[in-house]
Amino acid sequence: MPDVLAEAIDAGRVFGTGEHRVVALQHVTCKVERGSRIALVGPSGSGKSTLLHLLASLDDPTSGEVRWPALGDKGTLRPSKISFVFQSESLLAPLTVLENIEVPRLLAGVSPEQARSEASEILGALDLGQLSDKLPEEISGGQAQRVAVARSLVSKPDLILADEPTGQLDHAAAKQLLDLLVRRLEGTTTALVIATHDTSVAARMGTQWTMHHGALT
Amino acid sequence: MDDASRRADMSAMGIWLAGLARRRAGRMLPAVLGVSLTISLLAILGIFINVSASTMTQRALGDVPVDWQIELVRSADTGAVLTHLRAAAPVRMIDPIGYADVTAFTATTGGTTQTTGKGKVLGIVPTYWKDFPAELRPMLGATTGVLVAQQTAANLHVTVGDSLSVSRIGLPPVTVRVDGVIDLPQADALFQAIGVPPGAAAQAPPDNVLIVPMAIWHTWFDPQAVVRPNSVTMQLHVRLDHTLPADPGNAFIHVQQLARNFEARVAGSAIVGDNLAARLGAVREDALYARVLFLFLGLPGAILAMILTVAVSGTGADRRRREQALLRVRGATTQSLLRLESLEAIVVAVLASTVALLVVWLITRQMVAIGIAHRPTVVVLVTSIAVGIGTALGAVVAPAWRAARESSVNSGRGRIGRVEAPLWERTWIDVILLIVAGGVYWRAAASGFQIVLAPEGVAQTSVSYGAFLAPLALWIGVGLLVTRVFRHGLSGGRSVVTRLVRPLAGGLAPIVAASASRQSRLITRGVVLVTLAFSFAVSTAVFNSTYNTQSVVDAALTNGSDVTVTGTTAYPAGQLLGRISKVPGVQAARAMMHRFAYVGKDLQDIYGIDPATIADAADLSNAFFASNDAVGTMRLLASRRDGVLLSQETVNDFQLHVGDQVTLRVQNANDHQYHPVTFHFLGVVREFSTAPKDSFILCNGDYLAEQTADPSREIVLIRGAIAPAKLAEAVRPVVATLPGVRVSDLGTVQRAISSSLTAVDLHGLTWIELSYAILLIAGASGLVLGLGLIERRRDFALLAAMGASTRQMGSFFWSEGLIVLVSGMFLGFLTGFGLAKMLVKVLTGVFDPPPQSLTVPWAYLGVLIIAGSLSMVIAVVVARSVTRHQAIQALRTI
Repeated sequence: MPDVLAEAIDAGRVFGTGEHRVVALQHVTCKVERGSRIALVGPSGSGKSTLLHLLASLDDPTSGEVRWPALGDKGTLRPSKISFVFQSESLLAPLTVLENIEVPRLLAGVSPEQARSEASEILGALDLGQLSDKLPEEISGGQAQRVAVARSLVSKPDLILADEPTGQLDHAAAKQLLDLLVRRLEGTTTALVIATHDTSVAARMGTQWTMHHGALT
Repeated sequence: MDDASRRADMSAMGIWLAGLARRRAGRMLPAVLGVSLTISLLAILGIFINVSASTMTQRALGDVPVDWQIELVRSADTGAVLTHLRAAAPVRMIDPIGYADVTAFTATTGGTTQTTGKGKVLGIVPTYWKDFPAELRPMLGATTGVLVAQQTAANLHVTVGDSLSVSRIGLPPVTVRVDGVIDLPQADALFQAIGVPPGAAAQAPPDNVLIVPMAIWHTWFDPQAVVRPNSVTMQLHVRLDHTLPADPGNAFIHVQQLARNFEARVAGSAIVGDNLAARLGAVREDALYARVLFLFLGLPGAILAMILTVAVSGTGADRRRREQALLRVRGATTQSLLRLESLEAIVVAVLASTVALLVVWLITRQMVAIGIAHRPTVVVLVTSIAVGIGTALGAVVAPAWRAARESSVNSGRGRIGRVEAPLWERTWIDVILLIVAGGVYWRAAASGFQIVLAPEGVAQTSVSYGAFLAPLALWIGVGLLVTRVFRHGLSGGRSVVTRLVRPLAGGLAPIVAASASRQSRLITRGVVLVTLAFSFAVSTAVFNSTYNTQSVVDAALTNGSDVTVTGTTAYPAGQLLGRISKVPGVQAARAMMHRFAYVGKDLQDIYGIDPATIADAADLSNAFFASNDAVGTMRLLASRRDGVLLSQETVNDFQLHVGDQVTLRVQNANDHQYHPVTFHFLGVVREFSTAPKDSFILCNGDYLAEQTADPSREIVLIRGAIAPAKLAEAVRPVVATLPGVRVSDLGTVQRAISSSLTAVDLHGLTWIELSYAILLIAGASGLVLGLGLIERRRDFALLAAMGASTRQMGSFFWSEGLIVLVSGMFLGFLTGFGLAKMLVKVLTGVFDPPPQSLTVPWAYLGVLIIAGSLSMVIAVVVARSVTRHQAIQALRTI
């Protein structure tokens, strides 16, 4: 089984044209291996989110290449093999917490009954069961991010990409969220890439990638 | 505010305005379209109402053969009366005319002598034909000298060159030679009783009339005036200057005031028969009906356009909240926030007004002649633009003001479910409105009430605008009820929604249903707007179709068939039946007798038909007969040779029962005298081709021919295989040899009947309304749905980020689109038919005869369904495309 889950080869991403041309990413080459823990650090606008989007196949590079050798076809990556955790509240507003967690499983084609069972299980495991029937607008920002983490875990993916998931949380809540994520992934081969400004978060990851002006340094 | 702050404020507004132009043009466009729809529909409606009233007045003026008939008392000084007349009113023409009663006319022709009952002899001046051309119509011979009325000529069996004797009252008879035969198309007005109180029974015109030059008349009747003063009168026939107020009601009051002024001046020497005021009085009712019709049919469209604009603008609420939060953080006050939001409303209003004025100009210049500087037009345009500005402010600034009042960003998060029911819902206003609609409708239907009241002879007119309440309450009530049902249905009935969307969404059905149920406010807004738009379109289309069908029925009754050839007793059209039948395009031609018969003392029209074949050329509706069975009644008449069908009024007057023997007096060709003929009463006839709206008689033509020794058939009814107007053109040369013959076609008669009510081409307004209805449906089905979906592109971007396939994403879009379209369309059709039925009932007065059922324009309704479906499909496709292309941008904000 190949160990490289995702790799970027001389990848670049340019937005806009002419006067509005912005180089978000340039000549980035990197690999994410199974079970790795990577912190992606760098100042705002350095291209962290863009790189994560490319690795998650949410966006395509305008130059170079992004591949997923261990995960197979690009069209089958999400929701089962790669999960994404966004910076701010990313729950679907009209759905309850439980339904939000069911969504990736339903999108993967499991039966509604199984999706509900798996969602309940992960909520219970993460001590979020009491929030099941709440709407996103009825829970706090920290709780919403924990639910988003639960949603990323429910599919038991090979790779979790998290884009500054603690960026809008206070220090205690950020620590709690990271603890939750790291603890849950202990003993698994799931790889984790977290983009962050928080040095304490970065320090807990095995590897650190630093980005500056769209390039890995 | 000091200068520096003012400058800063102006600068902020400039930046905001530039930003609007650069980045919000796409979002403002729907609001501009909605407001321009509102303005243009209101303006067109107002202009049509104004032009309709004005045209109606002008047409009414043209319809009156003699404006005033002034009857002089015997002792009156004619010169003084004329002086007062010229001082009191703007007179253009005055002709004296003499009226004299005579005991009989007698003529000897073909070896027999005919004597009529009493009659009238009129004396006219040579200019009368030119001054009042509508009063007399030449038929045979000269237009000067001694002229005999057509019916009198038929009674006496005289024609040009024959002699007749006039039996004067108290004096020896005089004999005279006939120079011409004429028709008196306006006999009712010409022989009206002048000075009788309004509402008195109309005086029937005399059966026998002779017209002679004024000099002869004076020679004959000046002596009679001495021996029997009451038998001779003089009238002045007057044409006024027709520069009158445009509105028929105002023109009516103006003309009445002129007449009263004159009567006051002459102090009893003369009485005015005010035909002009009488005609304008009658038209007032039509004008009010036209106004009511326009309002009933057009106003809901304008209201809908306003609601649509507010809904479309409402889709930007989240964006607005975010912008306001940012501005507040940077120190903007509520006042400055509203000033900035007002800029958007002003831009929308200015653009919409420009578009609307252009549309109004393009549409109205094709249909009506209006001057932009015409005061009522300016008033209409200014009012419409004011409403448009109000709509723009209401749509943009009001929600901004509401948002600005919210103290924190979090307070704006209550957009998903679990909110308190609004006041109208808690107080059951929807159900109350539906009960009110039902109650008002029931009262209207049960009491046979008239929405428009314009009592004869009374200046005051009234429109029972309360009747608007029924359709208005129904429309609003349905809108609110649908809101209640869908909001609660979608929230509470999720298992039903899950089942409904499962064919599209498959395993995602529970999530799609959950999403729909929590978005119930957004979806309900779409359903309500689609329901209201479809109900407006359906009710307008069905009402207009029913109206048009009834005008065809009315025209068919008036004209008799596709084409009708009407001859005279002397020259019956039936003698050319063979040649007419061979004209290319003639499918069937049937001849019919038209004579007169006395029922007691009452002279009525009698029609002799062949009941077995008459339906080949004329449309016979079941409603024509009290039995409600046209085929059965014709079969019955065919089975009884001496059978007769009479009007309900005659049956009531003479207490007749089916099977009774009835004796009528009809003229026999051998001696030209009226002789009794026995018939058997078979049933009641209400209407028949070419027959008058009051009493008439229907019998077997063969029997009537046998009893009168005259087989001639005066009328030929033709059913054509080609357009009636073309057929009439083809028939005219064939019958041109018959003196006095008339050829009329269905289309011309229908146009005359339709336009007599609305005075402007209702088809034009209908076309505009139906086109606007399609636009409103497209807006409700497409714009509101599409913008609603685009507004939630963040949610769809999240779904895409989670790995939803194109098909899975589609299930969310299509499920929502179909819920909105199918529910809205179904409920809209249901409400539309209900409204149409209500409108037909409330506006019964505009129909003649009232419709038995609604006429459904299936083709147009098909177009509505296609328009709604197409808009929904386009909205979903565009929304999918926008959410897909903006997914990355949306994701970067997550």
